[in-house]
Amino acid sequence: MSALAEILFGGLFQGSLYAMMAVGLALVWTTIGVFNFSHGVFMMLGAYVAWQLVELGLPAAVAFPVAVVVMAGVGWILQASVVRPLIGRPNIVLVVVITTLAAGSLIENGALTIWGPRSKQIPALIDGNATIGGVGVSLHQIAIIVITPLILAALWMFLNRTRLGLALRAVAQNEDASHLVGLNVTALYGLAFAIAASLAGLAGIFMGGYRFMSPVMGSDPLLKALIVVVFGGISSISGPIFAAYLIGFFEAACSYYFGLYWTPALLFGVLILTLMVRPEGIFASRSRGLA
Amino acid sequence: MTDTTSPITQAHMATATPVAPGRTPWKHEAVGFVLGFAVLALLPLIFGDTYARHILIMAFIYAIVASNWDLSLGYGGVFNFGHLALFGIGVYAYSLLTKLAGLDPWIALLASGVIATLAAIVVTIPILRLKGIYIILVTFGFAQLVMQVILSQSEITGGTQGIVRIPGLYWFDHNMVRDAKSAYFYIALALLVASTLFLRVFVRSRTGASIVALRDNEEYAISRGVSIVRQRMLTLAASAFFTGIAGAFYAAYQRNASIDVFGMSLATIILSMVLLGGTSTIYGAIVASFVLTIFAEWMADFGAWRPMITAVLIIGVMLAYPSGLAGMIKAVWGAVAGRIKRPA
Repeated sequence: MSALAEILFGGLFQGSLYAMMAVGLALVWTTIGVFNFSHGVFMMLGAYVAWQLVELGLPAAVAFPVAVVVMAGVGWILQASVVRPLIGRPNIVLVVVITTLAAGSLIENGALTIWGPRSKQIPALIDGNATIGGVGVSLHQIAIIVITPLILAALWMFLNRTRLGLALRAVAQNEDASHLVGLNVTALYGLAFAIAASLAGLAGIFMGGYRFMSPVMGSDPLLKALIVVVFGGISSISGPIFAAYLIGFFEAACSYYFGLYWTPALLFGVLILTLMVRPEGIFASRSRGLA
Repeated sequence: MTDTTSPITQAHMATATPVAPGRTPWKHEAVGFVLGFAVLALLPLIFGDTYARHILIMAFIYAIVASNWDLSLGYGGVFNFGHLALFGIGVYAYSLLTKLAGLDPWIALLASGVIATLAAIVVTIPILRLKGIYIILVTFGFAQLVMQVILSQSEITGGTQGIVRIPGLYWFDHNMVRDAKSAYFYIALALLVASTLFLRVFVRSRTGASIVALRDNEEYAISRGVSIVRQRMLTLAASAFFTGIAGAFYAAYQRNASIDVFGMSLATIILSMVLLGGTSTIYGAIVASFVLTIFAEWMADFGAWRPMITAVLIIGVMLAYPSGLAGMIKAVWGAVAGRIKRPA
């Protein structure tokens, strides 16, 4: 019983973090058609901005939302400076990889210079621990498990029920037609990046609440988010969300039965198998191209 | 903005994509090749001190890695983001073969190239059916996997500690650190010559032409009987051999191996060498490796600011000249040549 509870809990928790990260990657990919390699750095920066605000004396309830808003601004600026000028160029996918990597390195080294290499920690969402089904868990982790689906549901509502969200999806589906009907495509690109960055920043705040922060804390979650989007299919928003939880459970089960060291290898094995059978991801429809 | 259908953009695309290989007569290229490397071979006459030669040796190693990446990335159009993992596999293969298996360093050097080639073939299997961004994701994952495996097998690989006191190369009874490392300098140069010769012959051959054809018009190339499976595997395997050897040489030269070779920072630097040099040229990547390595040393005084300055410069060049330094030189040359020709 306790084994099952442990895997279930670990899976839900890791899955929540992966989903927050992967959704942002997928959102940028579907709308702009580029891959943002500074996504992991967004996560790190979100955590550090929140830490700095808390350090300045703001209560966490104020500092965390402010940090998320700041991250939206960072996302917008990054998009305007290293992505937008390249749109329309023939080799945009490759060039954006290098510009976002370079921007990520800039931010990472900037954070190292400003905040130093010493590990930091930000306050948990809720202090305290609980025991559920024989497994001891912190209330912070419970809060993440509860809040993440709410945020993802809100995002889904935004993308499917509001005019702005529909405009964003319209750009994702057909950019030329969006231009024709008078949508401000440039602003929508900025919006996609802003949403992605604030989701990543929030994931960083969640992570900084239970683990020590460092300027390189974003690289591992970025890798996991990459695996998630490959697994779930990158051309939709819901695919990566399901995949994130699936991978979370898989990882929890693997590390329970085979140990932490073999988990990445097993994860990659599953990834290769998925790609050989269904290159477009297991939750994606077959209709969309892979280019 | 994104009106890819307009004639201006199409004209831009036509100039940005390099034409089929083998346009320069091979004799002209051979003369340039020999002259260029002769100049490099004479460099120790000017740079006598150990430190300057160390910088040059590192530039040669990076040039091998970057130019081989240009084969898969530029010519093949395969976004292989696991290229640095092949380099890392070379580093660790050499270290383990010489230190644990006690193999002769020169044999281990060759074996590392073969092992990297085999690894490249393995990573090609899952990406055979994929395109563009999916290849980036899988190869990036492959690189991380290799790193995780090395980290987890710490009793063999040293984990985060790395491996120290790796046997170096030897040359009869010559003391390798004497004469300000000139032995290592010439071995590195010889490897760069061999690698560049191999790459240029490869891309000028019919196989090279078919790889470019696959990149530029996959459907048409396949319809003319080019096998995408065979050619893609060949491209990746060909780009891996000298990359693995460069990794082995790096380990032999540094006498230690660390997990840092799999890090994002090295990958970013090497990738920017490929892109700054201008893809699908081989020579561009080599020149950019020299420029960036020497530039990085020149900025050593800036300390922590160095990676940030490098990042800003990479972004600046990529925004201004998307085809890299080669495009920049072409633009400057075009302007100069236009001025000279006009009066006539």
